[in-house]
Amino acid sequence: MTWLRTRIEALGGRLVDAGRAGVELWLVYVSTIAGIVRGFASRKDRRGRPKGELVRQLHQIGNKSLIFIAVTLGFIGMVMTYEACNQLSRITGTFEMVGPQYIRLIVSDFGPTLTALMLATRVGAGIAAEIGSMKVTEQIDALRMSGVLPIDYLIVPRFTASIIMTLMLSVLGSLVMYGAGGLTAQYTFGVNPNSFFDLDLLRPRHLALGVIKAVSYGAAIPVVAGFCGLRARGSSEGVGQATTAAVIGSSFAVIILDFVISAAALFLFGGDL
Amino acid sequence: MTAFLEFKDVRKAFGGKPVLKGMSLAVDKGEVMYIIGTSGVGKSVTIKHLIGLLRIDTGEIWFDGQRVDGLSERQLGPLRKRIGMVFQSSTLFDSMTLAENVALPLRKHQRMSSSDAEAEARRRLAEVYMAEFADRYPAELSDGMRKRAAIARTLALGPEVVLFDEPTTGLDPVSARRVDRLIRELADKRGVTAIVVSHDPPSIFSVADRVAFLYRGVVHVVATPAELRASPDPVVQQFITGQSSGPMETPGF
Amino acid sequence: MKASRLARFVESIGAGATRVAQETGGIVVLTWQVLRALVPPRIDRRELFKNLHKMGNRSVAIVALTAFFAGALMALQSGPFVKKFGATAIAGYGAGYAVLREIGPILIALMFSGRVGANNTAELATMTVTEQLDGLRALSIDPIAYLVVPRVIAMMVMLVALTAIGDLVALVGAAAVARVMLDIEWSTMYYSMADNLKPWDFLLGIYKSVAFGGVIAMSSCYFGVSVRGGAVGVGKAVNAAVVAAAVSIMLLDFLLTYLLG
Repeated sequence: MTWLRTRIEALGGRLVDAGRAGVELWLVYVSTIAGIVRGFASRKDRRGRPKGELVRQLHQIGNKSLIFIAVTLGFIGMVMTYEACNQLSRITGTFEMVGPQYIRLIVSDFGPTLTALMLATRVGAGIAAEIGSMKVTEQIDALRMSGVLPIDYLIVPRFTASIIMTLMLSVLGSLVMYGAGGLTAQYTFGVNPNSFFDLDLLRPRHLALGVIKAVSYGAAIPVVAGFCGLRARGSSEGVGQATTAAVIGSSFAVIILDFVISAAALFLFGGDL
Repeated sequence: MTAFLEFKDVRKAFGGKPVLKGMSLAVDKGEVMYIIGTSGVGKSVTIKHLIGLLRIDTGEIWFDGQRVDGLSERQLGPLRKRIGMVFQSSTLFDSMTLAENVALPLRKHQRMSSSDAEAEARRRLAEVYMAEFADRYPAELSDGMRKRAAIARTLALGPEVVLFDEPTTGLDPVSARRVDRLIRELADKRGVTAIVVSHDPPSIFSVADRVAFLYRGVVHVVATPAELRASPDPVVQQFITGQSSGPMETPGF
Repeated sequence: MKASRLARFVESIGAGATRVAQETGGIVVLTWQVLRALVPPRIDRRELFKNLHKMGNRSVAIVALTAFFAGALMALQSGPFVKKFGATAIAGYGAGYAVLREIGPILIALMFSGRVGANNTAELATMTVTEQLDGLRALSIDPIAYLVVPRVIAMMVMLVALTAIGDLVALVGAAAVARVMLDIEWSTMYYSMADNLKPWDFLLGIYKSVAFGGVIAMSSCYFGVSVRGGAVGVGKAVNAAVVAAAVSIMLLDFLLTYLLG
C-alpha cells in the first residue's frame, strides 16, 4: 500500500510542479504582451529597450536561418511529393490532384509548421542559451538593479522579431517546398508542371490559417525559449539543460498549437479543410 | 650516459606564436625535477609533450633510450603506462566514486575482475590517506582531496615517471604541504622519477632535487634549489623573490 | 557601398561552405574511428548500460506525447478530405502511411536529437573542456572506444526502439482523433490500416530511424569532443550539433525514400 502511495505522491508532486510551471509560462507571455503595449502607450516607458535591438533580433533570427530553412524545407518538399505520388500510384494512378492538394496543405499547414519546427531548434536553442548564460552570470539581476524589466529588454524584441521572421520564413519555406515538390514530381513520376502548379483549389481560408499558425508559432517560440532561459540554474550545465528544454518545449508547443488550430478550423469550417 | 628523460632543442608554436624556442633538458632516473617559470611561458606545454597530448614542431624527446616524439596514438599506449600525469584540474570523472575512478585503469589494463580492481583501488587510496572517502563522488570533496585521489589514480598502474601539472596551485597551505610530502615519498620510497611544474616557492625549495627555470622559451638555468637561491642572475632572483618589477620580460604586463 | 556588401555576402557563404565541409570531414573521420574501435569489439559494458538507461528513460514520455499528436494531426489532415469523398475506409491507411514512413521517424528523430543528442553533446563538450578526455588518454585509455562508442550504440538502439513505440502511439492517436472528431469508428481505422499497410511501410520507417540514429549520434559526439573555448563553446557545440543533425535527417530522409521507396 505504501508503495502505491509514494508513487501517487510523486505523481501528484510532479503535476503540481507542471501546473506551477504552466502558470509561470503564462505570466511570461502576458508580461511580454504588456511590455509591447507599454511600448506603444508611452515613449517614456521605452527605457531599457535599446534602439535597434529589434533590428538585431530580426537579423539574428531571420537572416541566419535563411539557408537552413531553405535547405531543410526543400528536402521535406521533395520527400512529401514523392510519397504522395507513390501513394496515389498505388490507389488511383492519376496525378492531377497532387499539385493542387499539395499547395493547400503547404499553405495551411506544413509550410508554417515545418518552418517553425526548424526554427524552434535553431532559434529556440539560441535564445535559451543567450538568456540562460545571462541568468547564471547574474546579468539578469544586474538588469533589475538598474531599473530595467528583463522581460522588456530581453524577450519583447525577440517576440516581435520572431513573429515577423516566422511569417516571412514560412512564406519562403512554402515557396521552396512547392518548387522542390514540383521538380520532384516532374522528374520522378513525370507529372506535368502545368498540372502541378495549379492554384485552383487554394482558398482564402487556407492563407488565413497559415498566417494564424505562423504568427502563433512565432509568438510561442521566444516565449517558451525565453522562459527556459530565465529558469536556468547553476553553471554551464544549467545553461545546457535550459537549451535542451527550450528546444523540446518550443517544438512541442508548435505541434500542440498546430493540432489545436487545425482542430478549431475543422469545427469552424465543418469538415472541409 | 644518456639521461633517463631528455628534451633536445624542442620547438613548439601555437598558431604562429612560438612558445618553446629550443628547449633542452635532461632528467635523471629517480630525481624530482621541478620546472618553474612565469604563467604562460610553456611549462604545462612542455610536460604534455612527453605523453603525446601535444606534438612538437621540431626537436627530439627521448625516454629510456627510445625516441618518443613521433609515436602514433597506438604506440603511445605502452608509454602512457610508464609515464603517468596528474592534471592541474584533477580530471577525476564526475560520474564515478573515487574507488571507481582509481579502479578504472586497473580494470582496463590489468584485466582484473571488478572486485579485485576495487580492492586494489582502495589500497591505492589508502596510500594517499584517502581510504575513508573511497565511496564519495569528486564533486563532494575539496580540491586538496580531489588532487590526492587523482594522484592515487595515476599511481594505480605503477608508472616509473609521474608528471605533475601545478599540483599545489589553488590548494590551502596544509593540503599543499601534504601533496608535497606525497611527491617526496614517491621518489624516496618507490624510486619514481617526478617532473613537477610549479610556481609555488615552498614546494620548490622543500621538495625539488633540481630546478629548471623556463624563460623566453628555453631553459634559462638548471640547478639545485640551493644553487638557485644563491644565483647572481637578476632574472632568477626576481622570480624567486617574487618582485613585480625588474629585468624580467613578462609579456602582457 | 553595395559592392562591398555583396562581396561580404559572398565571402560569408564561402566561409560557411568551408566550415560545413570541415565539419562533415570531421564527422567522417570520427565515424571511421568509431568503426575501427568496434573491430574487435571492446566495448565497456558499464558505460553501455549506463547510457542505454539514461537515453531511453529521458525520452519516452516526450516521444510518446509527440507521436500521439503527430498521428492526430495526420488524421486531421487526411480525414476530412477522405470523408468528403466518402472513402472513410482509407482514412486509416492514409494516416498510417504518412506516420509509419515519414512523420513518425522524422519527428521522433528530431525530438530525440533535441533531447538526447543535445544533452550528450553538452556532456562530452564539458568533459573535453575540463580535460577529462586528456585524462583518459594519459591513462592510456582511448576516449573514442571508452566514451564515444557506447554512446553511439546506445543512441542508435534507443532511437529504433523509440520509433517503433512512437509509431504505435501515433497510430493510436490518429485513430483517436478520427473517432472523436471525424466520427470514424475505431474498427474502420483499424481495418483500414491492417488491410492496406504493408510490412515494408513499417520497415522503411525503422531503417530510416537506424540511419537517423547514426547521424544524430555521430553529429552529437563529434561536436562534443571537438569543442573549443570553454563554457561559451559548449553552448555553440550543442547548437551546431542539433542543426547539423536536423539538416542531415532531412537529407537522409529524401535519399532513403527515393532509393528504397
